[in-house]
Amino acid sequence: MQYLTQLLISGLAIGAIYGLIAMGFAVIYKSTGLVNFAQGEMTMIIAYIAWTISTTAGGNLFLVSIGAIIAAIVLGLVIERVVMRPMLGEPLFATVMVTIGLAVILRSSINFIWDAYPHGLDVGFGRDIVRLGAIGIRTGQIAVITTLLLLLVAIWAFFRYSKFGVAMRAVAADDRTALLMGISAPRVHAAAWAASSVIAGIAGVFFAISYDLSPAMFQLGLKAFPATILGGLDAVLGSGIGGLLIGITENLAGGYLGSGMKEVAGFVMIIVVLMIRPFGIFGERDIERV
Amino acid sequence: MRTGDYKQTYGELVALVDSPPVWMWSAVLVVALIVAPYALNSYALSFVTIILITVVGALGLNILTGYTGLISLGHVGFLVTGAYAYAILVSKYQMPPLVGFIGAGLVPAIASLIVGAPSLRLKGLYLAITTLAFSFIINTAILEVRWLTNGARGIAVQRPELLGISFDGDAAFTHLCLGFAIVTLFATLNIRRSRVGRAFVAIRDNDTAARVMGINLHAYKLLAFVTSAFITGIAGALYGIYLSFVSVEGFPFLLSIEALAILIVGGLGSALGAVLGTILIVLLPEATRIVFSLFSTQMDAMFSTGAQELKSMLYGLVIILFLRFQPRGLVGAWHDIRRTWVHWPLRY
Repeated sequence: MQYLTQLLISGLAIGAIYGLIAMGFAVIYKSTGLVNFAQGEMTMIIAYIAWTISTTAGGNLFLVSIGAIIAAIVLGLVIERVVMRPMLGEPLFATVMVTIGLAVILRSSINFIWDAYPHGLDVGFGRDIVRLGAIGIRTGQIAVITTLLLLLVAIWAFFRYSKFGVAMRAVAADDRTALLMGISAPRVHAAAWAASSVIAGIAGVFFAISYDLSPAMFQLGLKAFPATILGGLDAVLGSGIGGLLIGITENLAGGYLGSGMKEVAGFVMIIVVLMIRPFGIFGERDIERV
Repeated sequence: MRTGDYKQTYGELVALVDSPPVWMWSAVLVVALIVAPYALNSYALSFVTIILITVVGALGLNILTGYTGLISLGHVGFLVTGAYAYAILVSKYQMPPLVGFIGAGLVPAIASLIVGAPSLRLKGLYLAITTLAFSFIINTAILEVRWLTNGARGIAVQRPELLGISFDGDAAFTHLCLGFAIVTLFATLNIRRSRVGRAFVAIRDNDTAARVMGINLHAYKLLAFVTSAFITGIAGALYGIYLSFVSVEGFPFLLSIEALAILIVGGLGSALGAVLGTILIVLLPEATRIVFSLFSTQMDAMFSTGAQELKSMLYGLVIILFLRFQPRGLVGAWHDIRRTWVHWPLRY
């Protein structure tokens, strides 16, 4: 029983990180209609930037978080402006391939800018273990679960109540009509990329605090795919919850079936989900008119 | 002088090549490739062999991505399944290499049926995601099923002997790869001009319209996927033989990206494009290395330490630049040059 609870809690913690990255996928998909295959790489880059800031600023938590958020916004905007904006109006295939090309470039840039060794991001908290009865949990893990829940509420409110959130949903639903209503689609796209980049950055920094930085971190993005497929590619909240489910599934599979199963549990789940409910648990069914 | 595409009969429309000189130049190229192993040193020859093997794989992916318009991010999964199928049949169970090659095609084809059946019911990017998942699942499966695959230790593979001819030497092996490349090229060109190929292209161009015309979308997409996996599997077997050792590390995920880069650089949906793209992409890292080493030795050192990273960065850059500035690829550029040449000084 204690083993199970421990698995569930560490599953929730890693699941919250998957959930955050999956939300990043969904934010971009919801406003631009494309799957950003570079999400995991963006997560990794921002975590590395945060690490650089923390080593130069001596692990000041405030500076690190502000710096990481600014870096994330800049990264998102630059990618949108330089790489994605020129592809506006091109076929979906080409746009998606561009994000794949971007992913490979960002992934390999780590080894040139930084190095290939693992590093720990030390901001003075996150590695201490809190004891809840017989169960140990790291403070970083508690923080990431809390952050995910807070962000879920904030994003729900943003899309539901704020004017810009409604504009984003409008562009996603039908960009031409949205343009006719006076909404600037490029501005919405830029905002979506920046927001998605910030969410990815939060995930990356939390991962670096609780675990370690390494050039293999981009695989978090691949692990978050099942989460967003499970939750629904167009469902931001669903993706967040999907992340928690995938994290738990993965850890249970790893704990009871062996470490090989832990690696592939999420991917097996994708194929199962696509067979049963292809648009995800919370996603909307795509209706096509001719 | 040919001034345009005047095709008047159905036969002309489906002809393999649109002018007789193409046959002659192709024959010259084939003869050059047959002679090449005796003229080149072993370093240059290894590039020729790699190009020929990669052409087989690229043509395989071209059926799926180029003709049918479905993205696969996990074709390395079929490559590795093909290589292991060959290695297990030939090295472990001492089957004749011919059986090994057939197995190397059939096993990935069956695997593709299992992955494709659920994911091809859906539109858009789902195939990209499920194939990505497949390539990770298959790697883990290979590492877990140790009694069959030797796990992480891999399987050593000998150069084969087919129909009484030994392909042990480097030159002979290049000839074997050339044979496979030519057969694959003819096969894909013929698929393209058949009823099946036209159905694939119709699905790529507008799947709703294709369905209205009476094309069974699910069946044809699955057919494209299975054919593509079959050819890719054979390329995997050839690559395994070339490496003389089949292991999971020999088939990194980068190969999937490389294959997509080849198709984009060459020009999607064209067999000629797949060949041109392969030549460019395979030689690109080497060419870049030579150019950089002219400038400074420091750059050269960077190439030797971060070769893999540099390679993937180049692939990414090439993908983005071609999609942005020359979406029709090298084939498109070639058509433009040809037209300019014929019509000069007029623009059209």
